[in-house]
Amino acid sequence: MTSKVTINSLSTGVPGLDDLLGGGLPEFSFNLIAGQPGCGKTTLAHQIMFSLATQARPALYFTVLGEPPLKMLRYQQQFTFFDQDAINRSVRFVNLCDEAMAGDLDGVLARITEEVARHEPALVFVDSFRSVVLATQGDGHAHNHLQRFMQQLGMLMTSWQATTFLIGEYFTDTDANPVFTVADGLIWMRQNVQRNAMVRKMEIMKMRGQPSLPGLHAFRITGDGLQIFVPPPGQADASSPHDVQERATMGVHGLDEMMGGGLPRGYSLLLAGPSGSGKSILAAAFLNAGVRNGETGVIAAFERRPNRAHNQELARNIEQGRIGLVESHAADISIEEVVHLLAKEIHRLKASRVVIDSLSGFELALGPSFKEDFRESLLRLVASLTALGVTVLMTSELEDRYTDLRFSPYGTAFMTDAIIVQRYIEVESRLRRVMAVVKVRDSAHSDELREYSIDDGGIRLGTMLAGQEGLLGGHPATRRRTLTADEA
Amino acid sequence: MDSQESSRLTAPLAHRVAEDADSRQIAAAINALWTDIEAALQPIVGRRGVAALFKRTLHVTAVRHPWLATLAPGSDDSVDPAHLAALFAAQAPPQAAEAGSAVFENFRDLLATLIGAPLSERLLQAAWSNSSSAAPAQDPTP
Repeated sequence: MTSKVTINSLSTGVPGLDDLLGGGLPEFSFNLIAGQPGCGKTTLAHQIMFSLATQARPALYFTVLGEPPLKMLRYQQQFTFFDQDAINRSVRFVNLCDEAMAGDLDGVLARITEEVARHEPALVFVDSFRSVVLATQGDGHAHNHLQRFMQQLGMLMTSWQATTFLIGEYFTDTDANPVFTVADGLIWMRQNVQRNAMVRKMEIMKMRGQPSLPGLHAFRITGDGLQIFVPPPGQADASSPHDVQERATMGVHGLDEMMGGGLPRGYSLLLAGPSGSGKSILAAAFLNAGVRNGETGVIAAFERRPNRAHNQELARNIEQGRIGLVESHAADISIEEVVHLLAKEIHRLKASRVVIDSLSGFELALGPSFKEDFRESLLRLVASLTALGVTVLMTSELEDRYTDLRFSPYGTAFMTDAIIVQRYIEVESRLRRVMAVVKVRDSAHSDELREYSIDDGGIRLGTMLAGQEGLLGGHPATRRRTLTADEA
Repeated sequence: MDSQESSRLTAPLAHRVAEDADSRQIAAAINALWTDIEAALQPIVGRRGVAALFKRTLHVTAVRHPWLATLAPGSDDSVDPAHLAALFAAQAPPQAAEAGSAVFENFRDLLATLIGAPLSERLLQAAWSNSSSAAPAQDPTP
């Protein structure tokens, strides 16, 4: 038998929150949910309450001065988690308006004590706590009173074995507020409006005795309530060396040979090329080849709907559920949300191939505040996808430049395991396309610059333009041959 | 809301009043029902919240029963039970019963537009089912 007390963890029922808290909510903890008005505090509290409350573990929800209870019930019942049958059974609402209006903290505390003694709740919510503070600020000793009140409330709730949440509007987190000291857990919710997109983020500023995840984490409120997008769990198998012997076929005749036998499984490939060079076609060929091989795949399309008219095989595979489609047109999506959507689809289909088409569209789709650290986020995205064991192909728009040799506008080339680059060249007054395998980590690959064409059957790889040189510089020239003795 | 549900919800007053009740008995039943509603709702929406709903209910019902307009809540927003009983007791029994039913029907409708019929019914359940002051159930006349 262990000599330490065991602290039970409650599963909050809010997707992502348990991970963010570092493994659920400690039982009998005294928590504060803080943030600006409208950032989802009451919704979070209700979601936790309806998820946790049972008749054996009832909840008491004290409404103070903030939102009128009728309005709160009116709007909260729109969420799917709101269970009308639970009300007055496992969930009870108690209005403390009169006590709070009187400005008497002792009266508020007495009423809370009375109700807690009567119903013996396992979960207690006080919404909004800030209004208790404001209602009592008139008498000049507010700070002392509040501190005493907090101490007593904290002690009362813990003694009555109630897990407690105080909900309050706080605009700055630097207030030397006694509430922050007494609380075991401090959940801070923020919303950030930039241009015409709003991003909601949550931060666990404090959680006693638990390794909560540091930093701000994006969350979204839908009809199902809050969903928090936490980074996927660490790269468990990232350290294990890839078996480069096992290769995924690219689906373009001749390309596997150029790559030394195909793309090694678990690798990430960056396919860079200018507009119209056939990146999406190659990406579709990669997914279709997987399906022909009995595999499933996922495509994240950020630019347009996958080229249905032009790629019937891909459209058919999507329709038949062999390839999952992840689309988002939200103006405020975060990388974590995209990873979450992809991971869900990968698990659902047990997919082995993933295509992101394209990174440029992906960057445009992100909320403005997420764009600032796009490269770091992209690195996390690639790491978390390859940690899932999938083989990833990402396309990237590449501005054609003939003065330097570039593979990616983001400096993303270093973070992928393999690179294929496509270019336009001018030969004899015609625009022709060439591609080359630039890198396949830990593997031999071709160094050829091969011409290719696109027709109804997809990409057809041709030969090297043997007679040309200086192609990548944009000024190809026909190489002069040295005449043989016979020709001379 | 269909008429069946409507009659189920307004039934509490009918259950509390015998068919041959006089105005004073009707007034007492209305008062008792209102006290039960207050007891059910006040803990949740607060004293002022309930008073505001009742004020609105009276305003709406007074369109057809103008004598109800004099029953405005007092300065502290609460309804004086004695005043309520006296006002209904002064009416002829059919008018008192009709106006009483209309008050509770309007009150229920008002609450339902705010928080939906199912939740309203759930919150008012205690008041509707409280039959301690009800008249004994009568056999239907053949």
